[in-house]
Amino acid sequence: MNQQPLLSVEDVVKKFGEVAALDHCSFDIEKGSITGLIGPNGAGKTTLFNLITGVLQPDSGHVFFKGEEITGKKPYEIARKGIGRTYQIIRIFPKMTLLENLIVVGKGRERKVMEKAIELLHLVRLIEKKDHYASDLSFGQQKLLSLAQVLMLDAELILLDEPAAGINPTLQNELMALIHQLNEAGKTFIIVEHDMSVIMNHCQNAIALNYGQKIAEGNCRLILEDESLLEHYFGR
Amino acid sequence: MGVALLMIFLISIPFYATDYWITLLVQILIFTVYASGWNLFSGLTGYTNFGLAWFIGVSGYASSLLIADYQWHWLFAWPIGALFISIISIGVGVILLRIKGVYFAISMVALTEGTRELFGTEYLEPLTHGGKGVPFVAGISLATLYWSVLLLAFLTILICYKITSSKFGLRLIAIREDEQAAETLGIHTTRAKIIAFVLSAFLTGLAGAIHFTYQNYIDPSFGFTIHLTLTPIVMTLFGGVGTVFGPAIGATLFTFIHEILWAELTLLYMAIFGGILILLILFFPQGVLGWMKEKGILPKIRKI
Repeated sequence: MNQQPLLSVEDVVKKFGEVAALDHCSFDIEKGSITGLIGPNGAGKTTLFNLITGVLQPDSGHVFFKGEEITGKKPYEIARKGIGRTYQIIRIFPKMTLLENLIVVGKGRERKVMEKAIELLHLVRLIEKKDHYASDLSFGQQKLLSLAQVLMLDAELILLDEPAAGINPTLQNELMALIHQLNEAGKTFIIVEHDMSVIMNHCQNAIALNYGQKIAEGNCRLILEDESLLEHYFGR
Repeated sequence: MGVALLMIFLISIPFYATDYWITLLVQILIFTVYASGWNLFSGLTGYTNFGLAWFIGVSGYASSLLIADYQWHWLFAWPIGALFISIISIGVGVILLRIKGVYFAISMVALTEGTRELFGTEYLEPLTHGGKGVPFVAGISLATLYWSVLLLAFLTILICYKITSSKFGLRLIAIREDEQAAETLGIHTTRAKIIAFVLSAFLTGLAGAIHFTYQNYIDPSFGFTIHLTLTPIVMTLFGGVGTVFGPAIGATLFTFIHEILWAELTLLYMAIFGGILILLILFFPQGVLGWMKEKGILPKIRKI
């Protein structure tokens, strides 16, 4: 390995009571990749996101970002280092306008922040609604706004929790095209998704979790063809 | 322009108005600061502070004792009282602002009640005069007091205006909307909350110091009464939570309605007043300003 991974998760354990939501889980994420994170409900995917972003603290194990340990850091510190996330249940700021939703995330000079917010609203095609409350948006549009917020943060690593779920196919295609566009511009993604076609079509690699353990890792197609995994996944 | 005319009018009032009117305005202005101070923290962050009386009482006590027992001039006693409560608020904020929702509200009530008991105990009597209270005369004329509180109210509204229309204000609102999301978007929510909490304590505390100088008296049940918490909250709800001018409008309307009902219908006024409040909360939960923004009478911007 000549290049340091962007993100390293090392032997992470997280228990809720007696149940291990993550059980000695380790993996690396390379810069510039799009990785799918798959597994049945309760496999620990969202918990993993929560540990990486500092929302939860692991019981043991370490998380490194760009070679620096971020375990135990506060969510806002991790966010400022360049890890952004969206939530499975959308968590934008409903009673703030779209523009405000982005400006509030921005750092630095007011004019630059404003310019960037406008630019991002163009990118996610929500510019006409910039002065509307975010609660006025459709579900799919709210997902786009929440992605724009993460971009406002200038995150290098973006964790998306079910970005395609519950939105219409047109918007879904737009969203995935946007993710590829951003990926080509250098952003790294980890995507939790239940829709296997999304993972197959858009991710280079995948990590499969079950009962908090990593059960497979590697090229998407190979993983999805793996019999034992499918057994886990579909309960055959 | 309109603001300048209003200010000139308000500044000139002591030259021709009767003491009754000046007194009424002093009350309105003090409660404008209380309500705005409450709104600055609770209206923006969504952390309902049921301990406003704690800010008021502690600062009121500190300044009153400085004037009564240490012969301080009111001009210095007031800001020291406000600074005192601000500094304590930093510690309290660090501890209590981790607690969310109803638990934070209850902790603040408990803090207020506990402080009231503490200030009334015989152990602290050498310092606080215990339950007997502190009567004092600060040697300030009604007009000077009026101008002081007018200046304070003006500065408070100016600060609220600046904050609400700033990025810091947006961060506070983001905390109200979804604190965890704000945190994972890189917002140092704890710091923002503490700054707003302490600023609220300072402004409210300053008004509290003036309030008890005006009353020439403070005692534990008077200084920490729940009315000092509830009235500003109701005024803010009345005028518009989270707006810049809502608390001032609420304080003004509330005081006038209160005064008229009290003078005209002394026996029934609490009943009627309660009825009005229930109707307002049922039909105008967003307050006067919120309603006007919704109806398009006023633009939907944060600067109002």
